[in-house]
Amino acid sequence: MLFASLAIAILLWEFYKAVGPEDGGDIFGWRIIPKTNDRVMPHTWTMAAEFGDDAIGSGDQKVWQVLLGYAWYTFRMAIAGLALGVFVGVGLAVFMARFKIVERGLLPYLVISQTIPLIALAPQVTVIRGSLDLPQWTSAAALAAFLSFFPVTVSTLRGLQSAPAASLELMDSYAASWWTTLRKLRFPAAVPYMVPGLKLAATASVIGVIVTEITLGGLRGVGFATIDYSQKVTSQPASVYAAVFAAAVLGLIMFGIVVAGESIAMRRRPKEVVG
Amino acid sequence: MSDATPQTRAVEVSDASMVFNPGTPGEVAALDHVDLTVEPGDFVSLIGPSGCGKSTLLRVIANLLEPTDGSVLVNGKSAHQARIDQDYGMAFQQSGLFEWRTVTKNIELPLELKGWDKKRRQERVREMLDLVKLPDRGEHMPWELSGGQQQRIAIARALAAHPPLLLMDEPFGALDEMTREHMQSELLQICAATGTTVVFVTHSIPEAVYLSDRVVVMSAGPGRITEIVSVDLGRDRDEDTREDDTFYKKITEVREALRGSEMSAEARGIEDR
Repeated sequence: MLFASLAIAILLWEFYKAVGPEDGGDIFGWRIIPKTNDRVMPHTWTMAAEFGDDAIGSGDQKVWQVLLGYAWYTFRMAIAGLALGVFVGVGLAVFMARFKIVERGLLPYLVISQTIPLIALAPQVTVIRGSLDLPQWTSAAALAAFLSFFPVTVSTLRGLQSAPAASLELMDSYAASWWTTLRKLRFPAAVPYMVPGLKLAATASVIGVIVTEITLGGLRGVGFATIDYSQKVTSQPASVYAAVFAAAVLGLIMFGIVVAGESIAMRRRPKEVVG
Repeated sequence: MSDATPQTRAVEVSDASMVFNPGTPGEVAALDHVDLTVEPGDFVSLIGPSGCGKSTLLRVIANLLEPTDGSVLVNGKSAHQARIDQDYGMAFQQSGLFEWRTVTKNIELPLELKGWDKKRRQERVREMLDLVKLPDRGEHMPWELSGGQQQRIAIARALAAHPPLLLMDEPFGALDEMTREHMQSELLQICAATGTTVVFVTHSIPEAVYLSDRVVVMSAGPGRITEIVSVDLGRDRDEDTREDDTFYKKITEVREALRGSEMSAEARGIEDR
Protein backbone atom coordinates (compact mmCIF):
# COMPACT_ATOMS: atom_id res chain seq x y z
CA MET A 1 0.00 0.00 0.00
CA LEU A 2 2.85 2.30 0.91
CA PHE A 3 4.42 1.80 -2.50
CA ALA A 4 1.12 1.97 -4.34
CA SER A 5 0.35 5.39 -2.88
CA LEU A 6 3.88 6.56 -3.69
CA ALA A 7 3.38 5.42 -7.29
CA ILE A 8 0.08 7.31 -7.49
CA ALA A 9 1.72 10.46 -6.10
CA ILE A 10 4.47 10.20 -8.76
CA LEU A 11 1.90 9.64 -11.51
CA LEU A 12 -0.15 12.69 -10.43
CA TRP A 13 2.97 14.83 -10.36
CA GLU A 14 4.10 13.71 -13.82
CA PHE A 15 0.56 13.95 -15.21
CA TYR A 16 0.20 17.56 -14.10
CA LYS A 17 3.67 18.35 -15.36
CA ALA A 18 2.70 16.91 -18.76
CA VAL A 19 -0.64 18.71 -19.15
CA GLY A 20 -0.27 21.79 -16.94
CA PRO A 21 0.69 25.22 -18.41
CA GLU A 22 4.43 25.74 -18.61
CA ASP A 23 4.17 29.25 -17.20
CA GLY A 24 1.37 28.67 -14.73
CA GLY A 25 -2.00 30.36 -15.00
CA ASP A 26 -4.50 32.65 -13.39
CA ILE A 27 -7.87 31.93 -11.84
CA PHE A 28 -9.97 35.06 -11.31
CA GLY A 29 -6.81 37.10 -11.51
CA TRP A 30 -5.03 35.08 -8.82
CA ARG A 31 -1.85 33.42 -9.95
CA ILE A 32 -2.44 30.02 -8.38
CA ILE A 33 -1.84 27.55 -11.18
CA PRO A 34 1.76 26.40 -10.59
CA LYS A 35 4.27 26.53 -13.38
CA THR A 36 5.35 23.19 -14.70
CA ASN A 37 8.80 24.10 -15.99
CA ASP A 38 11.77 22.06 -14.84
CA ARG A 39 12.82 24.65 -12.29
CA VAL A 40 9.57 24.58 -10.35
CA MET A 41 8.52 21.00 -11.00
CA PRO A 42 11.46 18.82 -11.93
CA HIS A 43 10.72 15.32 -13.17
CA THR A 44 10.51 12.78 -10.39
CA TRP A 45 13.31 10.78 -11.99
CA THR A 46 15.45 13.93 -12.03
CA MET A 47 14.86 14.20 -8.27
CA ALA A 48 15.77 10.56 -7.78
CA ALA A 49 18.86 10.92 -9.97
CA GLU A 50 19.86 14.02 -8.01
CA PHE A 51 21.04 11.84 -5.13
CA GLY A 52 23.74 10.41 -7.38
CA ASP A 53 24.94 13.77 -8.72
CA ASP A 54 28.11 15.47 -7.63
CA ALA A 55 27.43 17.79 -4.75
CA ILE A 56 28.45 21.36 -5.54
CA GLY A 57 31.23 22.64 -3.34
CA SER A 58 31.75 19.36 -1.49
CA GLY A 59 34.78 17.93 -3.28
CA ASP A 60 34.07 14.67 -5.04
CA GLN A 61 31.20 13.65 -2.78
CA LYS A 62 27.83 12.77 -4.25
CA VAL A 63 24.66 14.51 -3.09
CA TRP A 64 23.46 11.45 -1.16
CA GLN A 65 26.72 11.25 0.75
CA VAL A 66 26.53 14.89 1.72
CA LEU A 67 22.86 14.56 2.69
CA LEU A 68 23.61 11.47 4.74
CA GLY A 69 26.17 13.45 6.71
CA TYR A 70 23.67 16.29 7.21
CA ALA A 71 20.94 13.85 8.23
CA TRP A 72 23.16 12.16 10.80
CA TYR A 73 23.99 15.57 12.27
CA THR A 74 20.30 16.51 12.47
CA PHE A 75 19.37 13.07 13.76
CA ARG A 76 21.67 13.34 16.76
CA MET A 77 20.24 16.73 17.73
CA ALA A 78 16.69 15.44 17.25
CA ILE A 79 17.39 12.43 19.48
CA ALA A 80 18.87 14.68 22.14
CA GLY A 81 15.85 16.98 21.83
CA LEU A 82 13.42 14.07 22.03
CA ALA A 83 15.18 12.63 25.07
CA LEU A 84 15.05 16.00 26.81
CA GLY A 85 11.43 16.48 25.72
CA VAL A 86 10.39 13.08 27.06
CA PHE A 87 12.23 13.68 30.33
CA VAL A 88 10.62 17.07 30.85
CA GLY A 89 7.25 15.91 29.49
CA VAL A 90 6.98 12.87 31.73
CA GLY A 91 8.30 14.86 34.70
CA LEU A 92 5.63 17.53 34.25
CA ALA A 93 2.92 14.90 33.81
CA VAL A 94 3.93 13.15 37.04
CA PHE A 95 4.05 16.48 38.86
CA MET A 96 0.57 17.40 37.60
CA ALA A 97 -0.83 13.94 38.35
CA ARG A 98 0.54 14.21 41.89
CA PHE A 99 -0.86 17.65 42.62
CA LYS A 100 -4.23 18.49 41.11
CA ILE A 101 -3.66 22.15 41.87
CA VAL A 102 -0.48 22.13 39.75
CA GLU A 103 -2.43 20.65 36.87
CA ARG A 104 -5.00 23.43 37.07
CA GLY A 105 -2.35 26.12 37.36
CA LEU A 106 0.21 24.84 34.89
CA LEU A 107 -1.63 23.08 32.07
CA PRO A 108 -3.13 26.24 30.52
CA TYR A 109 0.34 27.79 30.32
CA LEU A 110 1.72 24.67 28.68
CA VAL A 111 -1.02 24.93 26.07
CA ILE A 112 -0.20 28.59 25.51
CA SER A 113 3.50 27.76 25.23
CA GLN A 114 2.76 25.74 22.12
CA THR A 115 1.28 28.77 20.35
CA ILE A 116 4.61 30.61 20.48
CA PRO A 117 6.32 30.37 17.09
CA LEU A 118 9.61 28.53 17.39
CA ILE A 119 11.31 31.21 15.28
CA ALA A 120 10.43 33.82 17.89
CA LEU A 121 12.03 31.75 20.64
CA ALA A 122 15.19 30.81 18.77
CA PRO A 123 17.14 34.06 19.37
CA GLN A 124 16.34 34.00 23.12
CA VAL A 125 17.45 30.40 23.36
CA THR A 126 20.72 31.31 21.65
CA VAL A 127 21.32 34.13 24.11
CA ILE A 128 20.68 31.85 27.09
CA ARG A 129 22.80 29.09 25.58
CA GLY A 130 25.64 31.57 25.04
CA SER A 131 25.46 32.77 28.63
CA LEU A 132 25.62 29.16 29.86
CA ASP A 133 28.59 28.48 27.60
CA LEU A 134 26.96 25.42 26.02
CA PRO A 135 27.82 24.16 22.51
CA GLN A 136 25.73 25.47 19.65
CA TRP A 137 23.83 22.26 18.94
CA THR A 138 22.16 22.48 22.35
CA SER A 139 20.01 25.34 21.02
CA ALA A 140 18.53 23.00 18.44
CA ALA A 141 18.04 20.24 21.02
CA ALA A 142 16.36 22.68 23.41
CA LEU A 143 13.96 23.94 20.76
CA ALA A 144 13.25 20.38 19.62
CA ALA A 145 12.47 19.55 23.25
CA PHE A 146 10.23 22.60 23.43
CA LEU A 147 8.12 21.18 20.61
CA SER A 148 8.22 17.55 21.69
CA PHE A 149 7.57 17.76 25.43
CA PHE A 150 3.97 18.89 25.00
CA PRO A 151 2.41 15.80 23.38
CA VAL A 152 4.35 13.70 25.87
CA THR A 153 3.00 15.67 28.83
CA VAL A 154 -0.60 15.58 27.67
CA SER A 155 -0.63 11.90 26.76
CA THR A 156 1.27 10.81 29.87
CA LEU A 157 -0.99 12.83 32.16
CA ARG A 158 -4.04 11.26 30.55
CA GLY A 159 -2.42 7.84 30.93
CA LEU A 160 -1.48 8.34 34.57
CA GLN A 161 -5.09 9.23 35.28
CA SER A 162 -6.38 6.17 33.42
CA ALA A 163 -5.77 3.60 36.17
CA PRO A 164 -9.14 2.05 37.14
CA ALA A 165 -10.64 3.01 40.50
CA ALA A 166 -10.64 -0.61 41.69
CA SER A 167 -6.91 -0.93 40.98
CA LEU A 168 -6.22 2.28 42.87
CA GLU A 169 -8.30 0.99 45.80
CA LEU A 170 -6.34 -2.24 45.65
CA MET A 171 -3.03 -0.39 45.98
CA ASP A 172 -4.61 1.65 48.75
CA SER A 173 -5.62 -1.54 50.53
CA TYR A 174 -1.94 -2.54 50.53
CA ALA A 175 -1.17 0.84 52.11
CA ALA A 176 1.12 1.46 49.11
CA SER A 177 2.68 4.92 48.94
CA TRP A 178 1.95 7.31 46.07
CA TRP A 179 5.32 6.58 44.49
CA THR A 180 4.84 2.83 44.75
CA THR A 181 1.42 3.21 43.17
CA LEU A 182 3.01 5.32 40.42
CA ARG A 183 5.64 2.71 39.74
CA LYS A 184 3.51 -0.42 39.96
CA LEU A 185 0.18 0.84 38.65
CA ARG A 186 -0.13 4.33 37.20
CA PHE A 187 2.95 4.28 35.02
CA PRO A 188 2.43 0.85 33.44
CA ALA A 189 -1.22 1.76 32.90
CA ALA A 190 -0.09 4.97 31.14
CA VAL A 191 2.13 3.27 28.56
CA PRO A 192 -0.55 2.65 25.90
CA TYR A 193 -1.63 6.29 26.22
CA MET A 194 1.94 7.56 25.93
CA VAL A 195 2.64 5.88 22.60
CA PRO A 196 0.70 8.32 20.37
CA GLY A 197 2.23 11.24 22.28
CA LEU A 198 5.72 9.85 21.74
CA LYS A 199 5.04 9.41 18.03
CA LEU A 200 4.04 13.06 17.73
CA ALA A 201 7.03 14.07 19.84
CA ALA A 202 9.47 12.12 17.66
CA THR A 203 8.47 13.90 14.48
CA ALA A 204 8.08 17.23 16.26
CA SER A 205 11.66 17.07 17.48
CA VAL A 206 12.93 16.68 13.89
CA ILE A 207 10.87 19.71 12.90
CA GLY A 208 12.25 21.61 15.88
CA VAL A 209 15.85 20.91 14.86
CA ILE A 210 15.29 21.74 11.20
CA VAL A 211 13.53 25.01 11.99
CA THR A 212 16.37 25.91 14.35
CA GLU A 213 18.95 25.16 11.68
CA ILE A 214 17.12 27.36 9.20
CA THR A 215 16.61 30.16 11.71
CA LEU A 216 19.94 30.33 13.49
CA GLY A 217 22.52 29.17 10.97
CA GLY A 218 25.82 27.64 11.89
CA LEU A 219 24.29 24.20 12.34
CA ARG A 220 24.94 22.08 9.26
CA GLY A 221 22.14 19.55 9.09
CA VAL A 222 19.22 18.81 6.81
CA GLY A 223 17.59 22.17 7.53
CA PHE A 224 20.74 23.94 6.44
CA ALA A 225 20.78 21.76 3.29
CA THR A 226 17.28 22.85 2.22
CA ILE A 227 18.32 26.51 2.44
CA ASP A 228 21.71 25.90 0.86
CA TYR A 229 20.24 23.91 -2.03
CA SER A 230 17.42 26.34 -2.65
CA GLN A 231 20.08 28.92 -3.40
CA LYS A 232 21.52 26.62 -6.04
CA VAL A 233 18.12 26.09 -7.58
CA THR A 234 19.20 27.44 -10.99
CA SER A 235 21.96 24.93 -11.49
CA GLN A 236 20.43 21.93 -9.68
CA PRO A 237 16.67 22.50 -9.32
CA ALA A 238 16.01 18.97 -8.09
CA SER A 239 18.47 19.17 -5.21
CA VAL A 240 15.99 21.02 -2.97
CA TYR A 241 13.67 18.07 -3.26
CA ALA A 242 16.51 15.76 -2.36
CA ALA A 243 17.00 17.72 0.87
CA VAL A 244 13.26 17.69 1.61
CA PHE A 245 13.24 13.96 0.97
CA ALA A 246 16.10 13.51 3.42
CA ALA A 247 14.15 15.47 6.06
CA ALA A 248 11.06 13.29 5.51
CA VAL A 249 13.08 10.10 5.80
CA LEU A 250 14.62 11.41 9.01
CA GLY A 251 11.15 12.02 10.45
CA LEU A 252 10.13 8.51 9.45
CA ILE A 253 13.18 7.00 11.12
CA MET A 254 12.40 8.83 14.36
CA PHE A 255 8.81 7.63 14.08
CA GLY A 256 10.08 4.11 13.45
CA ILE A 257 12.16 4.17 16.62
CA VAL A 258 9.02 4.89 18.65
CA VAL A 259 7.06 2.19 16.82
CA ALA A 260 9.85 -0.30 17.59
CA GLY A 261 9.73 0.71 21.23
CA GLU A 262 5.96 0.37 21.21
CA SER A 263 6.03 -3.17 19.89
CA ILE A 264 8.46 -4.13 22.65
CA ALA A 265 6.51 -2.38 25.42
CA MET A 266 3.12 -3.61 24.21
CA ARG A 267 4.31 -7.14 23.42
CA ARG A 268 2.08 -8.87 25.95
CA ARG A 269 -0.77 -6.40 26.19
CA PRO A 270 -4.31 -7.11 25.03
CA LYS A 271 -4.80 -6.07 21.41
CA GLU A 272 -7.34 -3.34 21.84
CA VAL A 273 -7.50 0.31 20.95
CA VAL A 274 -7.09 2.78 23.77
CA GLY A 275 -9.64 5.60 23.70
CA MET B 1 -3.56 -18.73 59.85
CA SER B 2 -4.67 -15.88 62.00
CA ASP B 3 -2.59 -14.35 64.74
CA ALA B 4 -5.82 -13.47 66.46
CA THR B 5 -6.68 -15.30 69.67
CA PRO B 6 -10.27 -16.56 69.88
CA GLN B 7 -11.19 -13.56 71.97
CA THR B 8 -10.04 -11.12 69.28
CA ARG B 9 -12.83 -10.31 66.92
CA ALA B 10 -12.07 -10.28 63.21
CA VAL B 11 -14.11 -7.13 62.70
CA GLU B 12 -15.75 -4.85 65.20
CA VAL B 13 -17.62 -1.84 63.87
CA SER B 14 -19.12 0.31 66.62
CA ASP B 15 -21.57 3.10 66.03
CA ALA B 16 -20.06 3.97 62.65
CA SER B 17 -21.56 6.75 60.58
CA MET B 18 -20.46 7.93 57.19
CA VAL B 19 -21.69 11.17 55.65
CA PHE B 20 -20.61 12.10 52.13
CA ASN B 21 -20.46 15.78 51.10
CA PRO B 22 -21.46 17.03 54.57
CA GLY B 23 -23.07 20.43 54.64
CA THR B 24 -23.81 20.56 50.91
CA PRO B 25 -27.00 19.92 48.96
CA GLY B 26 -25.42 16.61 47.88
CA GLU B 27 -25.16 15.40 51.47
CA VAL B 28 -25.68 11.64 51.74
CA ALA B 29 -25.86 9.62 54.95
CA ALA B 30 -24.33 6.41 53.60
CA LEU B 31 -24.06 4.82 57.04
CA ASP B 32 -26.05 5.75 60.10
CA HIS B 33 -24.85 4.43 63.48
CA VAL B 34 -23.94 0.96 62.28
CA ASP B 35 -22.74 -1.81 64.61
CA LEU B 36 -21.32 -5.04 63.22
CA THR B 37 -19.26 -7.79 64.78
CA VAL B 38 -17.61 -10.58 62.82
CA GLU B 39 -15.98 -13.50 64.66
CA PRO B 40 -12.87 -15.20 63.26
CA GLY B 41 -13.81 -17.85 60.69
CA ASP B 42 -17.21 -16.31 60.06
CA PHE B 43 -18.60 -15.80 56.61
CA VAL B 44 -20.76 -12.68 56.68
CA SER B 45 -22.63 -11.21 53.69
CA LEU B 46 -23.86 -7.65 53.37
CA ILE B 47 -26.99 -7.35 51.24
CA GLY B 48 -29.39 -4.54 50.51
CA PRO B 49 -30.71 -2.18 47.87
CA SER B 50 -28.38 0.19 45.99
CA GLY B 51 -27.34 3.07 48.19
CA CYS B 52 -27.79 1.09 51.43
CA GLY B 53 -24.13 1.60 52.21
CA LYS B 54 -23.01 -2.04 51.96
CA SER B 55 -20.02 -1.14 49.81
CA THR B 56 -19.35 1.86 52.02
CA LEU B 57 -19.37 -0.36 55.10
CA LEU B 58 -16.90 -2.71 53.40
CA ARG B 59 -14.63 0.22 52.56
CA VAL B 60 -14.86 1.53 56.09
CA ILE B 61 -13.73 -1.87 57.38
CA ALA B 62 -10.94 -1.80 54.78
CA ASN B 63 -10.00 1.71 55.94
CA LEU B 64 -10.30 2.90 52.35
CA LEU B 65 -12.85 5.33 53.80
CA GLU B 66 -12.55 6.98 57.19
CA PRO B 67 -15.92 6.95 58.96
CA THR B 68 -17.30 10.33 59.95
CA ASP B 69 -18.08 8.92 63.36
CA GLY B 70 -17.63 5.72 65.36
CA SER B 71 -14.79 3.22 65.54
CA VAL B 72 -13.63 0.23 63.51
CA LEU B 73 -11.38 -2.52 64.83
CA VAL B 74 -9.95 -5.18 62.53
CA ASN B 75 -8.12 -8.09 64.09
CA GLY B 76 -8.12 -6.18 67.37
CA LYS B 77 -6.26 -3.21 65.85
CA SER B 78 -7.44 0.07 64.39
CA ALA B 79 -8.59 -0.35 60.79
CA HIS B 80 -5.74 1.92 59.74
CA GLN B 81 -3.11 -0.25 61.39
CA ALA B 82 -4.74 -3.38 59.97
CA ARG B 83 -4.47 -1.92 56.47
CA ILE B 84 -0.80 -1.07 56.96
CA ASP B 85 -0.16 -4.60 58.25
CA GLN B 86 -2.10 -6.06 55.28
CA ASP B 87 -4.35 -7.94 57.69
CA TYR B 88 -6.94 -8.32 54.98
CA GLY B 89 -7.08 -9.11 51.28
CA MET B 90 -9.56 -7.55 48.92
CA ALA B 91 -11.39 -8.65 45.77
CA PHE B 92 -13.67 -6.55 43.58
CA GLN B 93 -16.30 -7.12 40.91
CA GLN B 94 -13.77 -6.20 38.25
CA SER B 95 -10.96 -8.65 38.90
CA GLY B 96 -8.63 -5.65 38.72
CA LEU B 97 -5.72 -7.76 37.55
CA PHE B 98 -2.91 -5.72 36.03
CA GLU B 99 -2.99 -6.49 32.32
CA TRP B 100 0.76 -5.91 31.90
CA ARG B 101 1.66 -8.54 34.48
CA THR B 102 1.55 -12.29 34.08
CA VAL B 103 -0.79 -14.23 36.36
CA THR B 104 2.19 -15.10 38.56
CA LYS B 105 3.30 -11.47 38.77
CA ASN B 106 -0.26 -10.42 39.64
CA ILE B 107 -0.43 -12.82 42.56
CA GLU B 108 3.03 -11.69 43.63
CA LEU B 109 1.97 -8.03 43.87
CA PRO B 110 1.01 -7.93 47.57
CA LEU B 111 4.08 -10.01 48.43
CA GLU B 112 6.33 -7.64 46.50
CA LEU B 113 4.91 -4.75 48.47
CA LYS B 114 5.62 -6.65 51.67
CA GLY B 115 9.22 -6.98 50.54
CA TRP B 116 9.34 -10.76 50.21
CA ASP B 117 12.29 -12.16 48.24
CA LYS B 118 11.74 -13.78 44.85
CA LYS B 119 12.13 -17.39 45.98
CA ARG B 120 9.61 -17.05 48.77
CA ARG B 121 7.19 -15.27 46.43
CA GLN B 122 7.43 -18.00 43.82
CA GLU B 123 6.76 -20.71 46.37
CA ARG B 124 3.69 -18.90 47.63
CA VAL B 125 2.40 -18.25 44.10
CA ARG B 126 2.65 -21.97 43.30
CA GLU B 127 0.71 -22.73 46.49
CA MET B 128 -1.98 -20.15 45.63
CA LEU B 129 -2.35 -21.38 42.02
CA ASP B 130 -2.94 -24.87 43.38
CA LEU B 131 -5.46 -23.49 45.86
CA VAL B 132 -7.54 -21.85 43.11
CA LYS B 133 -7.03 -24.89 40.84
CA LEU B 134 -5.19 -23.12 38.06
CA PRO B 135 -1.71 -24.60 38.58
CA ASP B 136 -0.59 -24.26 34.94
CA ARG B 137 -1.79 -20.73 34.22
CA GLY B 138 1.08 -18.87 35.90
CA GLU B 139 2.75 -17.61 32.75
CA HIS B 140 -0.46 -16.57 31.03
CA MET B 141 -1.55 -12.96 30.78
CA PRO B 142 -4.80 -12.15 32.64
CA TRP B 143 -6.66 -11.22 29.44
CA GLU B 144 -5.99 -14.67 28.07
CA LEU B 145 -8.14 -16.17 30.85
CA SER B 146 -11.92 -16.46 31.16
CA GLY B 147 -13.84 -14.20 33.54
CA GLY B 148 -14.15 -16.96 36.14
CA GLN B 149 -10.45 -17.76 35.93
CA GLN B 150 -9.56 -14.09 36.29
CA GLN B 151 -11.71 -13.88 39.41
CA ARG B 152 -9.92 -16.93 40.85
CA ILE B 153 -6.58 -15.25 40.25
CA ALA B 154 -7.93 -12.14 41.98
CA ILE B 155 -8.86 -14.31 44.98
CA ALA B 156 -5.42 -15.94 44.89
CA ARG B 157 -3.88 -12.45 44.92
CA ALA B 158 -6.13 -11.37 47.81
CA LEU B 159 -5.11 -14.42 49.86
CA ALA B 160 -1.44 -14.57 48.79
CA ALA B 161 -0.14 -12.96 51.95
CA HIS B 162 -2.37 -15.27 54.04
CA PRO B 163 -4.43 -12.49 55.55
CA PRO B 164 -6.89 -13.64 58.22
CA LEU B 165 -9.65 -11.58 56.63
CA LEU B 166 -10.98 -11.40 53.08
CA LEU B 167 -13.13 -8.46 51.97
CA MET B 168 -15.09 -8.99 48.77
CA ASP B 169 -17.20 -6.49 46.86
CA GLU B 170 -19.59 -8.36 44.53
CA PRO B 171 -16.72 -10.48 43.25
CA PHE B 172 -18.94 -12.76 41.17
CA GLY B 173 -21.32 -10.04 39.99
CA ALA B 174 -20.00 -10.04 36.43
CA LEU B 175 -19.99 -13.82 35.97
CA ASP B 176 -22.65 -15.95 34.32
CA GLU B 177 -24.96 -17.96 36.60
CA MET B 178 -23.24 -21.36 36.14
CA THR B 179 -19.74 -20.02 36.67
CA ARG B 180 -21.03 -18.03 39.56
CA GLU B 181 -22.43 -21.02 41.45
CA HIS B 182 -19.25 -22.92 40.74
CA MET B 183 -17.13 -20.07 42.08
CA GLN B 184 -19.26 -19.90 45.23
CA SER B 185 -18.53 -23.54 46.03
CA GLU B 186 -14.84 -22.99 45.28
CA LEU B 187 -14.77 -19.98 47.58
CA LEU B 188 -16.29 -21.99 50.43
CA GLN B 189 -13.67 -24.70 49.95
CA ILE B 190 -10.87 -22.13 49.88
CA CYS B 191 -12.17 -20.52 53.07
CA ALA B 192 -12.52 -23.88 54.77
CA ALA B 193 -8.96 -24.78 53.75
CA THR B 194 -7.45 -21.50 54.91
CA GLY B 195 -9.76 -20.64 57.83
CA THR B 196 -10.23 -17.17 56.37
CA THR B 197 -12.90 -14.83 57.71
CA VAL B 198 -14.94 -13.25 54.92
CA VAL B 199 -17.06 -10.12 54.62
CA PHE B 200 -18.88 -10.37 51.32
CA VAL B 201 -20.96 -7.71 49.58
CA THR B 202 -23.58 -9.00 47.17
CA HIS B 203 -27.01 -8.19 45.81
CA SER B 204 -27.89 -11.82 45.14
CA ILE B 205 -30.04 -13.40 47.87
CA PRO B 206 -29.24 -17.05 47.01
CA GLU B 207 -25.55 -16.20 46.87
CA ALA B 208 -25.65 -14.55 50.28
CA VAL B 209 -27.58 -17.47 51.82
CA TYR B 210 -25.46 -20.17 50.21
CA LEU B 211 -22.17 -18.65 51.32
CA SER B 212 -22.88 -17.10 54.69
CA ASP B 213 -23.13 -17.97 58.33
CA ARG B 214 -24.90 -14.68 58.74
CA VAL B 215 -26.60 -12.42 56.22
CA VAL B 216 -26.62 -8.76 57.18
CA VAL B 217 -29.64 -7.05 55.63
CA MET B 218 -29.28 -3.31 55.12
CA SER B 219 -31.65 -0.54 54.10
CA ALA B 220 -31.00 2.72 52.30
CA GLY B 221 -31.37 6.38 53.15
CA PRO B 222 -29.65 6.47 55.58
CA GLY B 223 -27.68 3.21 55.37
CA ARG B 224 -28.61 0.99 58.32
CA ILE B 225 -28.53 -2.64 59.33
CA THR B 226 -32.17 -3.72 59.62
CA GLU B 227 -31.79 -7.40 60.34
CA ILE B 228 -29.19 -10.13 60.67
CA VAL B 229 -30.31 -13.56 59.41
CA SER B 230 -28.38 -16.55 60.74
CA VAL B 231 -28.03 -19.32 58.18
CA ASP B 232 -27.66 -22.67 59.96
CA LEU B 233 -26.86 -24.83 56.96
CA GLY B 234 -23.70 -26.20 58.52
CA ARG B 235 -20.19 -25.83 57.18
CA ASP B 236 -20.20 -28.60 54.58
CA ARG B 237 -22.27 -27.01 51.86
CA ASP B 238 -22.31 -28.44 48.35
CA GLU B 239 -24.53 -28.34 45.29
CA ASP B 240 -27.22 -30.34 47.17
CA THR B 241 -27.46 -27.53 49.68
CA ARG B 242 -29.04 -25.42 46.95
CA GLU B 243 -32.03 -27.80 46.92
CA ASP B 244 -32.31 -28.01 50.69
CA ASP B 245 -35.57 -26.84 52.32
CA THR B 246 -33.67 -24.79 54.87
CA PHE B 247 -31.89 -23.05 51.98
CA TYR B 248 -35.25 -21.97 50.51
CA LYS B 249 -36.60 -20.99 53.90
CA LYS B 250 -33.57 -18.77 54.51
CA ILE B 251 -33.87 -17.20 51.06
CA THR B 252 -37.48 -16.32 51.89
CA GLU B 253 -36.43 -14.95 55.25
CA VAL B 254 -33.77 -12.70 53.70
CA ARG B 255 -36.17 -11.63 50.96
CA GLU B 256 -38.79 -10.63 53.50
CA ALA B 257 -36.24 -8.78 55.57
CA LEU B 258 -35.16 -6.93 52.43
CA ARG B 259 -38.74 -6.13 51.47
CA GLY B 260 -39.38 -4.78 54.93
CA SER B 261 -36.29 -2.59 54.74
CA GLU B 262 -37.28 -1.29 51.32
CA MET B 263 -40.78 -0.48 52.50
CA SER B 264 -39.44 1.41 55.44
CA ALA B 265 -37.17 3.31 53.07
CA GLU B 266 -40.18 4.21 50.94
CA ALA B 267 -42.16 5.15 54.01
CA ARG B 268 -39.51 7.75 54.76
CA GLY B 269 -39.97 9.04 51.23
CA ILE B 270 -36.55 8.09 50.05
CA GLU B 271 -35.86 6.66 46.66
CA ASP B 272 -33.34 3.91 46.58
CA ARG B 273 -33.34 2.98 42.90
